[in-house]
Amino acid sequence: MKRMWLAGLVFGVVVGLGYWLAVLDWSVAQAQQRTLTIAMIPKVVGIDYFNATRMGAEQAVRELGGIRFIHQGPTEARVDRQIELIENFITARVDVIAVAPNDPVAIAPALQKAQRAGIKVVTYDADANARDVFVNQATFEGIGKALVDEMVKQVGPNAEVAIVTSSLTAPNQNAWIAAMKAYMAQRYPNLKVVDLKPSEEDQQLAFQVTQDLLKAHPTLKGVWALSSVAFPGAAEAVKQAGKCGQVAVVGLSTPKQMRPYVKEGCVKSVVLWNPVDLGYLTIYTAKQLAEKGLKPGDKIVTKRGTWTVEKDKISLQVLLGPPFIFTAENIDKFDF
Amino acid sequence: MKLWRASVSEAVLLGVLVLTFLVMSQLSPHFLTPQNLLELPRFFAEVGLIALAMTLVILTGGIDLSVGSIVGLSAVVLGALHQGGIPLPLAALAALLVGLGAGLVNGFLVTRVGIPPLITTLATMAVFRGIALGISQGRAFRDYPDYFFFLGQGYVGPFPVQLFLFGALALAFAILLSQTAFGRKVYAIGHNEVAMRFMGHDVDRVKLAVYALSGTLSGLAALVLVSRFSTAKADLGQGFELDAITAVVLGGTSISGGVGGIWGTVLGLLVVGAVRNGMTLAFINADVQQMIIGGVLVASVALYGLMDKLAPMARRGREVGREAS
Repeated sequence: MKRMWLAGLVFGVVVGLGYWLAVLDWSVAQAQQRTLTIAMIPKVVGIDYFNATRMGAEQAVRELGGIRFIHQGPTEARVDRQIELIENFITARVDVIAVAPNDPVAIAPALQKAQRAGIKVVTYDADANARDVFVNQATFEGIGKALVDEMVKQVGPNAEVAIVTSSLTAPNQNAWIAAMKAYMAQRYPNLKVVDLKPSEEDQQLAFQVTQDLLKAHPTLKGVWALSSVAFPGAAEAVKQAGKCGQVAVVGLSTPKQMRPYVKEGCVKSVVLWNPVDLGYLTIYTAKQLAEKGLKPGDKIVTKRGTWTVEKDKISLQVLLGPPFIFTAENIDKFDF
Repeated sequence: MKLWRASVSEAVLLGVLVLTFLVMSQLSPHFLTPQNLLELPRFFAEVGLIALAMTLVILTGGIDLSVGSIVGLSAVVLGALHQGGIPLPLAALAALLVGLGAGLVNGFLVTRVGIPPLITTLATMAVFRGIALGISQGRAFRDYPDYFFFLGQGYVGPFPVQLFLFGALALAFAILLSQTAFGRKVYAIGHNEVAMRFMGHDVDRVKLAVYALSGTLSGLAALVLVSRFSTAKADLGQGFELDAITAVVLGGTSISGGVGGIWGTVLGLLVVGAVRNGMTLAFINADVQQMIIGGVLVASVALYGLMDKLAPMARRGREVGREAS
């Protein structure tokens, strides 16, 4: 038995050495001087959209200097994993947490706990019920209007259309849908939404539900796909059904993902904001919040422009600007 | 019979655990602090509860892939009933009963219909998650009374509530396995199910009970999880089956049954929990953490096998030595 224990310890030492090697890089970085630590938590890692926000954030970090930048997120868009990250970051005493919440309510207690621990909380991309400032990529009304206008351009004001959303609880998507419906009721009462299907941030599922929609509603003229993974899924379904040009697909996604469909003519317009700028502005906002504090009317001055801090229902907000529309003419200029 | 007789794998794992703590404390100054160590049980309690029952399932030579889906289903039942005006204690009871029921379905399919556990629970994994999605329609259920949050967010003194819940159940399961006839049957079925049947033991009843336990603990885990996140959604518990199986197998329980125990599973949970927590505190990405955990798992299990082979040889060597002298 003694020998076994010894062997156990020897093995432990070997594993320990493995750990050391894995983290050597990190230890070196750690030795540098104390700086402002900003932890950025996207909804999910490994998708183009949040790679783009990360890229913008890193550009801002390089410009500003003196920031230790951490970018960690769940591998699936789940709020419980985000909460766990936040709780760990509280223990690790970061200075700012910038998060794109997967659920505005569920994440709030964790963010309040962070605030009580003296950590500044910024939300970006999606909002939460507790935060110091929200970096808002576009107003819901602005996006809703752009989506409807782009659809009407292609199918006219009298048509049957359907929506493929992400999850039925996703706050952004629901707010856009509400804004779209409000705008349609006012401007295009004959544009009929015949169906609403969830695709759960899953491209394959978006593909499937769009196929189902095309079968269930033969008179369908257009589909809105409201997330960066739902859009290519929906476009692929329309393409494979041979209905390019007959059924319009309008939605929100990154230009890189939609470029093939735009080139083929299956998709005419991609509505979005510039996520690189969103990440960039988030870091500038976070730094100013942590070092000087923010109040309504404050200016955030960057190399790409100046933004103004406004008051909103919860606390403060910075608005990135009006939505951007990618078309066959301009889509090649963007690499995200 | 002693409650804990250290096995080879547990000795190895204890070594790994000690070293994990040493390394993690070097990685982050915030790891080896009382606040952090006291928070640890909150991170692995839900998977831990499931892993306790999973240990029994695997000891019988079975597996339960549906646990994560049962968590989602129980959570949604709790949320939907509460939203529908049912008092919370009743809704919680219903959620536990749903877990029990789901476990019984698995047990029934495995023992009476005779479908292998892997296939049975692979199928029910999809079915239970599907029902959960159907009930919730993607909605999130919230607005629970404050007392409910005690379970997932509360403290007794400096200790999180989960510590007591998990500790008590771990002890109960250890006693069940090592001190009762039921526990011995669980091991025996894993060793040789056919022999057990020939000896006239009711193997099916033991197995049914084991899957029922697995379902019930998944229901309990759902309560803790909903209380911790104050939200019940159909996607809760996704991936828990793999986390739980990882802890059990890392704990030295043989995937073919018959060998292993609760304390190994507890050590396995601690190792995985400490690696995750320590590396997150050191801002190391989740994908690297997964690789490290996977590496530790493969290396540990390989070593358990090696040492099982070496142990009899060493004994023989000693005997030969004695005869010669």
